[in-house]
Amino acid sequence: MESPFPHAIRIALILILLSVASFPIYWMVVTSLTSSANLFADTPQMLPDLVQGFNYADAIKKTDILIWLKNSAIVAVGTMVLSILLAILPAYALSRFRFRGKGALGFMLFITQMLPEAMLVVPLFVIFANLALLNTLGGLILANTAFTVPVITWILKGAIDGVPLEIEEAARIDGCSRIGILLTIVVPLVSPTLAAAAVIGFFHGWNEYVFAQTLVSSQALRTASVGLAGFVGELSTPIHTVMAIGVMYTMPAVLFYLMVQRHVVAGMTAGSVKG
Amino acid sequence: MKGEVRQASRSWLPVSRSERAAPLDGSPWTPYLFAAPVVLYLLLFQGYPLWHELMLSFTQTSLLTPTTSNFIGMRNYAELAARPDFWRVIWVTVLYTLVCVVFAITLGLGTALLLNRPFIGRGLARALVTIPWAAPPVAIATIFAWMLNAQYGILNHWMKVLGLEIGYESWLDNPRLALPAILVTTIWQIFPFASVVILAALQGVSEEVREAAQIDGADRLSVFKVAAWPTIRPTVTLLALFVTIWSLRRFDLIWVMTQGGPIGATKTLVIELYTRAFISRELGEAAAIGMVGLTIALGVTMVYFWVTLRAERAEGRR
Amino acid sequence: MASIKLERVAKHFGTKIAISDIDLDVADGEFLVLLGPSGCGKSTLLRMLAGLESVSKGEIHLDGRRVDQLPPSARDMAFVFQSYALYPHMTVRRNIAFPLIMRQFKWWFHIPLIGGMAKRAIERSPEVAGLVEKTARTLSLTELLDRFPRTLSGGQRQRVALGRAMVRQPKVFLMDEPLSNLDAKLRTAMRAEITRLHQRVGGTFVFVTHDQVEAMTMGSRIALMRDGQVQQFGTPREIYTSPANTYVARFIGTPPMNLIEGRIDGSTITLGEINMILPTGLMQIAHAANEPVLLGIRPNAMTLARLEDSGQLAGMVSLVEHVGAESVVAIKLLHAATAHDEEGSVPGEIMITTQGYSDLRHGDRVSVAVDLSEAVLFSRATGAQLSSSVAVTT
Repeated sequence: MESPFPHAIRIALILILLSVASFPIYWMVVTSLTSSANLFADTPQMLPDLVQGFNYADAIKKTDILIWLKNSAIVAVGTMVLSILLAILPAYALSRFRFRGKGALGFMLFITQMLPEAMLVVPLFVIFANLALLNTLGGLILANTAFTVPVITWILKGAIDGVPLEIEEAARIDGCSRIGILLTIVVPLVSPTLAAAAVIGFFHGWNEYVFAQTLVSSQALRTASVGLAGFVGELSTPIHTVMAIGVMYTMPAVLFYLMVQRHVVAGMTAGSVKG
Repeated sequence: MKGEVRQASRSWLPVSRSERAAPLDGSPWTPYLFAAPVVLYLLLFQGYPLWHELMLSFTQTSLLTPTTSNFIGMRNYAELAARPDFWRVIWVTVLYTLVCVVFAITLGLGTALLLNRPFIGRGLARALVTIPWAAPPVAIATIFAWMLNAQYGILNHWMKVLGLEIGYESWLDNPRLALPAILVTTIWQIFPFASVVILAALQGVSEEVREAAQIDGADRLSVFKVAAWPTIRPTVTLLALFVTIWSLRRFDLIWVMTQGGPIGATKTLVIELYTRAFISRELGEAAAIGMVGLTIALGVTMVYFWVTLRAERAEGRR
Repeated sequence: MASIKLERVAKHFGTKIAISDIDLDVADGEFLVLLGPSGCGKSTLLRMLAGLESVSKGEIHLDGRRVDQLPPSARDMAFVFQSYALYPHMTVRRNIAFPLIMRQFKWWFHIPLIGGMAKRAIERSPEVAGLVEKTARTLSLTELLDRFPRTLSGGQRQRVALGRAMVRQPKVFLMDEPLSNLDAKLRTAMRAEITRLHQRVGGTFVFVTHDQVEAMTMGSRIALMRDGQVQQFGTPREIYTSPANTYVARFIGTPPMNLIEGRIDGSTITLGEINMILPTGLMQIAHAANEPVLLGIRPNAMTLARLEDSGQLAGMVSLVEHVGAESVVAIKLLHAATAHDEEGSVPGEIMITTQGYSDLRHGDRVSVAVDLSEAVLFSRATGAQLSSSVAVTT
């Protein structure tokens, strides 16, 4: 039935909502393209001034932003790849097998979702110190993966649940090994969810702050999250430069996410919504 | 072990006896082999640290000498309980969590209901509304800190234009205003996720039951309570659990914006933990704080499961 | 009084026209059936009556009062959905009481504890409780009152849906294919129950179905719809014996009416290779018509003989179906043509029903004797029935 709620009010509310949701990012872009004079003027400049594009060149020259972005990308991709590799096997096991300790495994994966990174960073600091993993991007990847594997396992399990057993049984009859079935048959069939998992893993690595801040101290290995955070509260770098860095750090993530978000949502809610 | 038709398990919980499942021939060790890598990995990078944390909490350990510890038993915990500002930290944490959950879910629910009907540009609207969730928390902290800037922030400018306040509010430096500011930032970031989840759940609502309620003379809120809410309630409660846990864990946003200041106005448990560990350099105390936080999180989860199971049993029996 | 009047009612969804220009007058206490194939607009029309869809053009009147601008709850109409649409988290008792509670609803009922208590108080009040019990007794639901819908069978849920509609004592009952989700045996039983309900309650019923057997057995009048327009509006008997056009002719009856191409010659009609004298009734119509016609003959108005008779249609048996007391024989006419062009029909084939178990087999040559006493003539060009007076709408 057509909703009794007036259409006009609905549209108005949605427009307000969208403005609120997008304004801060918009403002970040505008500020990055504002002249120094206008930054502190009485009436703020509301539209981006494209002439100020040199702010970005400035930011690149005066800071290590490109190095930071590179490091962030390495951590992000590493987290993405490692998480998926680690998650496929248990996802399959939880979906297809019945074994003692299955509940325990599920419980364990669930419990890890409750641990704050800020808490684990303390012992991890100590452990990494002993393993000489401090101050390495690899260490960051290892630490991050521990936090993304549970979620990714869960959504992959949901996706594998949706693959008909008959396909596997047919392959089994044809003599395929269990691992072979997994790799050649199941994995291609759950590729949309794999894409969602890749996005989750990537974003976790890209956005991550605590470990990157605490476990890595060398300037050359700094990630963009830490680099950007360093400017907050500090007064020597001009705001438009800081915002330019913010935009360079944010835009890849937001644009990438907008492109794939439909699949991420589908991948994550498959099988989890109760009708 | 052969011949039996196997059913894929759809349960995250321990397998019930009624499920008939037998692995296709192969070693009975296969499941364990499949699970082993991830179990070992998690034990190494989360299990062992957790254990280490527990042990640390019973010691006095300095950050500068992380491998030398003095065993002091429960003293860390006793000291925490005695410190009034620690109770304040707990209060801030509880307040922060409650407000986040209530507002993020309410806002998410409202958004989902608004987006549930077709209109031009709906796909675009749905995509755009999730931008806050897509942006990195550090970037969000940065831009919000600038918007809240006392002298040049856009928020103060608008308030001046609207005639709301004279003078410049120093949001993040004002002990009364810092927590609300952080809350607004947090809710802004997480409500899109809530709206996406609830919107998905709303698709399972039967249109005909909604229409039946309208015909029966129910007003709009009653229609929602009778037709939509029973269907989405499980999802919303699970969502509430997740938002609660995340609020207890949230670090990046708060740390980058206020570091827990001013004067501890925004100091949640994890902030206090981190401060103790890396500024005060007392790893033992920090570990104790971490354990307290974990206990709270576990407690909340258990309450959630108990309430949910009771509700399900009540409905199932009838 | 609960008469319904639809005046030039139309509905479009954007550019798509779902319903065009419908005029219907439904008398008080009538059992109107909206019949038609999927997509013909019958459900849309019903929903417009209920207020679940807006009216694009035209007016709807209930008892002389205009209602098409009113919200559904203000129209004094009850609606039974195809999927019953019971409130899943309420007991049967509360499902039935719900409309009554809503009638007494105040804004402060939304307040969590107090509202709940107020609603329960209403539910337990003598008038409401009494009405609920009475309704439950009428529909044999008394033992089920404290159960939840998910524990009930299809037929039980159906009755609860009826109860929820009845309890409001509305002027009009609207039912959207309520029997379609039931299995065949249950459907027959529920058909009788609904008819009995109508006799007992006496309101005006509007019943949507795609099943012509339901329509013919239950309706006092039937509106047969196709593509958003009413093809014929009349009593079951009128529709059966005097279909307004070839569509109606082929929709009603199992097997449907046969349409054989023919040519009028004075007072005779030529069908294929034979020539027959028209009965008096049809002769006047035939004189007026000077166009090719279709002769509509019901399957039971023809008889078969094995001998080839030059005065009868020649045909070959193509299929025999034994349906217990009768046999349905499909005959391919050798020299006459038919106008059977719907999905599933074979051109040139007519269907004949014979009593008893037929010995005919595929390939047998037969003669078909045609009884014209109840035949109908249609224009081959327009498909409309040729007659002095045809009832399309009253």
